[in-house]
Amino acid sequence: MLKSNIKLTILFLLAIFSFSKINAQAWDVPADKKAKNSYIKFDENTAKEGEAIYTKNCVSCHGNPGKANNLKTLNPIPPDLGAAKTQALTDGELFYILNTGRGAMPSFKNTLSEEERWKTISYIRSFNKQYVQVVSKTDPTKSKLVKIKLDVDSLTNKIKVAVIANEIKGVVLLKDAEINMFVSRYFGKLQIGKTLRTDSVGCVLFDFPKNLPGDSIGNLEIVINVNDEIYGEIESINKVKIGVPTNKPSLTEKRAIWNVLKLAPWWIIITYTSILLGVGFILLLIIKNLFKIRKLGED
Amino acid sequence: MMDQSKKNKITSDLLKPIGITKTFHIWMGFLTLSLAVCLYAYMFQLDKGLVVTGLRDYVSWGMYISNFVFFVATSLIGMLISAVLGLSGVKWASPLARIAEIIALAFAAVAGLVIVSDMGHPERLLNVFMYGRLQSPIVWDVTVVTVYVLISALLLYIPLIPDFKICHEKLVDIPKPLRNIYKLLSLNWKGTEDQEKLLKKSVWILSILIIPVALAIHTVTSWLFASTSRVGWDSTIFGPYFVTGAFVSGTAAVIIAMFFYRNSYKLQDYITELHFDKMGKLLVLVSLVYLYFNLNEFMVPGYKMKKFDATHLHALFAGRYAIMFWLVQIVGLILPILFLLFGKMRKPLPMTVIAVAVLLGAWFKRYIIVVPTMEHPYLPIQNVPMNFKFYTPTLIETFVSLAPFILVLMIITILSKVVPIIPIQETIEHHEESK
Amino acid sequence: MCEKEDNSKNKSRREFLQNIGIIGLGSVLAGSAIFAGFNYDRKKTNAQRIKVLTAENELLEIDKNDTTKVARFKAENLTFLQKRGREGIKGKRWVMVVDLSKCRNARKCMSACQNAHHLRPEQHHINVLKMQESKGTPPFYMAKPCQHCDNPPCVAVCPVDATFKRPDGIVLIDNERCIGCRFCIAACPYSARVFNWAEPLNSEEDKDLTYDVELNVPQRKGTISKCLFSADRLREGKMPYCVSACPNGVYYFGDENEDAVTNGTTKETVRFSKLLEDNAGYRLMPELGTEPRVYYLPAKNRTSPYEDKDKPEASEHLDSSHA
Repeated sequence: MLKSNIKLTILFLLAIFSFSKINAQAWDVPADKKAKNSYIKFDENTAKEGEAIYTKNCVSCHGNPGKANNLKTLNPIPPDLGAAKTQALTDGELFYILNTGRGAMPSFKNTLSEEERWKTISYIRSFNKQYVQVVSKTDPTKSKLVKIKLDVDSLTNKIKVAVIANEIKGVVLLKDAEINMFVSRYFGKLQIGKTLRTDSVGCVLFDFPKNLPGDSIGNLEIVINVNDEIYGEIESINKVKIGVPTNKPSLTEKRAIWNVLKLAPWWIIITYTSILLGVGFILLLIIKNLFKIRKLGED
Repeated sequence: MMDQSKKNKITSDLLKPIGITKTFHIWMGFLTLSLAVCLYAYMFQLDKGLVVTGLRDYVSWGMYISNFVFFVATSLIGMLISAVLGLSGVKWASPLARIAEIIALAFAAVAGLVIVSDMGHPERLLNVFMYGRLQSPIVWDVTVVTVYVLISALLLYIPLIPDFKICHEKLVDIPKPLRNIYKLLSLNWKGTEDQEKLLKKSVWILSILIIPVALAIHTVTSWLFASTSRVGWDSTIFGPYFVTGAFVSGTAAVIIAMFFYRNSYKLQDYITELHFDKMGKLLVLVSLVYLYFNLNEFMVPGYKMKKFDATHLHALFAGRYAIMFWLVQIVGLILPILFLLFGKMRKPLPMTVIAVAVLLGAWFKRYIIVVPTMEHPYLPIQNVPMNFKFYTPTLIETFVSLAPFILVLMIITILSKVVPIIPIQETIEHHEESK
Repeated sequence: MCEKEDNSKNKSRREFLQNIGIIGLGSVLAGSAIFAGFNYDRKKTNAQRIKVLTAENELLEIDKNDTTKVARFKAENLTFLQKRGREGIKGKRWVMVVDLSKCRNARKCMSACQNAHHLRPEQHHINVLKMQESKGTPPFYMAKPCQHCDNPPCVAVCPVDATFKRPDGIVLIDNERCIGCRFCIAACPYSARVFNWAEPLNSEEDKDLTYDVELNVPQRKGTISKCLFSADRLREGKMPYCVSACPNGVYYFGDENEDAVTNGTTKETVRFSKLLEDNAGYRLMPELGTEPRVYYLPAKNRTSPYEDKDKPEASEHLDSSHA
């Protein structure tokens, strides 16, 4: 009892302390992101899994929630996530901060899966006894019903993405779903344009860059990522011939002073060889002379 | 026709040094012992790695490479005396030609060993022949040093043919196999007009050939440095700068050799004060040319003091290397020029002392060319121990560096014990002509 | 006329003759150097070649002889690794972008690299330097790996083709071939190379490992080591050790042919050309014409200020770059 009182006092002091410091600029989170909720129900297990992720990725700067051992030398100061100020944010806001990062804080959008990101938030929330979770309406089991269609206009370099769901009751057009377009690259996915939302007929139009290198005939692997409030997250991979055909020669093709012997510049090969042959010839001549001298002296 | 007694005297005088004396034993014993110590140091290096040297990642070339440059440099003198002076008909130089050739051969042959001592994997030397890239100046260097050793050996041997004949005839009380070797090497020399003609022609061809080859060995050696973009090395005059410097150290080496041969082999009648006088003047000439190149090499960047050049030049002129730098320039170059302008200084003893100063200066000059540049890379030297930033040679390294000098002395000593170091036949001819 | 002969005199004459013999042999060898070199290369190209699919789904063309060896003997793996190491990864041109504005001198890159390549603490394939271009300009931290130049001065001077440039742009070092002459150290203007002066750190533990030229492990006494762009990791689709270890998002790594680089910390993939364009990317010492494959983004709007105590010491007044 006493212990938790001390804890509260520290939290309180910390809250004051953080206000007294130069206040970090508040996060400007769009309204729709702010309202986003987790499709995972937070419980002890998710918090425990979240703790593991937190320890690996967050603790070095933010410290342990409620312990006020965050790294105060940084600017802006990474807040103690157990503090009241952080806990006052919505789940959507925390999710957004985790996704985008700012300043010294990296974005975790590509390094943690959505599930992992929610579990991290679950861990942070476990320090707030007053917290009551609002679970989103998403039903991940329905994601199988979703079909993504691509329509490529190679003349204008536009790609139309249509998203539908084949429900038993009939085809549903996914309205207002979040669509991200990526191109696969060797180490990750390159996002094309911004995140868009489907229109009233479940469609969205992407402007595709004209100068993106593809394979030798211009094929690109296009990844469409759909995020719908009800159907959850769906991804489809498509091979589309919309890139610039790329056949860059190997970097070691040309004759160069730094290349292998076989690809040495001609002037070096010719100069070296002819000098060596020339000197060799003269030396042979001298040796021949010596033999002649010897022969001349024979009785 | 010169009288027979005079001819006999020349022959006997010049053959006298051949043969083993007690001094020779002591001297060779001393050299062998010293060499053994140095080889022990080298075995230690082979076992532990180059960590036993003062070399580290930044200054990765040091004493060994300076030594290599010095050896190649000194070997160039063979070309200057026997070829350049010989071809231009300078008569006084001909008795010195063989000494110069012996020095050239010894220094050039040993230079190859010096570079091996610097290698991290000496047992992989054959890789240079198996996988050699023609684009690498090291491959050019290996080729051209080998060719130079070959030509120098021929240029030493061919004029020796008539003398081998004399050795075979006159040295009657030496063991038979040895006499037979002399006979074999004399190539049935009879001194006929045809033989004479062939011999002269061969020497003439080699004398011409050795000029570009000798220029090449030191130019290519200078390119080991000039082919990089480091401050102090990135210079267009490095080739001639090295070649002219080579003549200075080579001339000094020949002067020292002359002095020792003259005194220990009692050759005062053959290596005369005239020779010293002429060599002194030659040393002044080559030193002046070298001084001129030094002026260019340091004055031009020193005037502009560009950022990186300034760091380097500061270390040479007023920093860590200032004492060595100014000693080399003043005691090793400027003062010798001034002293040797006076006839009194061109006498054997004072001139030999000066030549020693010049030769020492020449060695340290190579050190100054190699080491300070490596201490001044473009990017800062950080996150390494202190001994990575500044180079100090270790004792082991010094011993290993001494080995090539001992080897050169051994080769020179042995050669001068098996061949007459003053050409007998030529000396006789000269006397006949002057009569 | 002549003093008495004895054995040692005999000996000294013999030595002299031996000397001449050795010199002669050496010259003949030198003369055939070029010949041998050409022959070696020809032999390589004439060998019967077949295609094999590796465990990493790489289609490789290798000598027919090698396949049986690879399948049967572990020791012969070396041949395979060497061949693979020289051929590189087809169709790639690796690039690295170092965002100096994000560097906070955490040095995780340095330690990850030293662990991966079994280096001593003073051996740096990548080194984080405190830089100050000139008096009065602000200091900054600069991570400096090998620049993997497209016109590499180190490779140019190598006498034995031990260090070489691959078709995918990586400059590697083969310590099975290296003779330890250190000409490459002299030639590199970026001080990117290190030498194994003593027995390497893990030589005892590593002695049974098959040498992988893409990792340069086991390290070998008397040979060069250098940054390899973690060629072994790239084959697995992973980013280099240093890039992945950075906690601050300093490094981007990718394929120039794809015009994309991925941040090692955030894993965010961006267009390479746009990243350079938006941030005024540059390369080190462009005036030397080395054409590095490492690009830098200037140290502006730094997230952590460079503290005064970190400024290069006065004695390190040569601490500066050409930037």
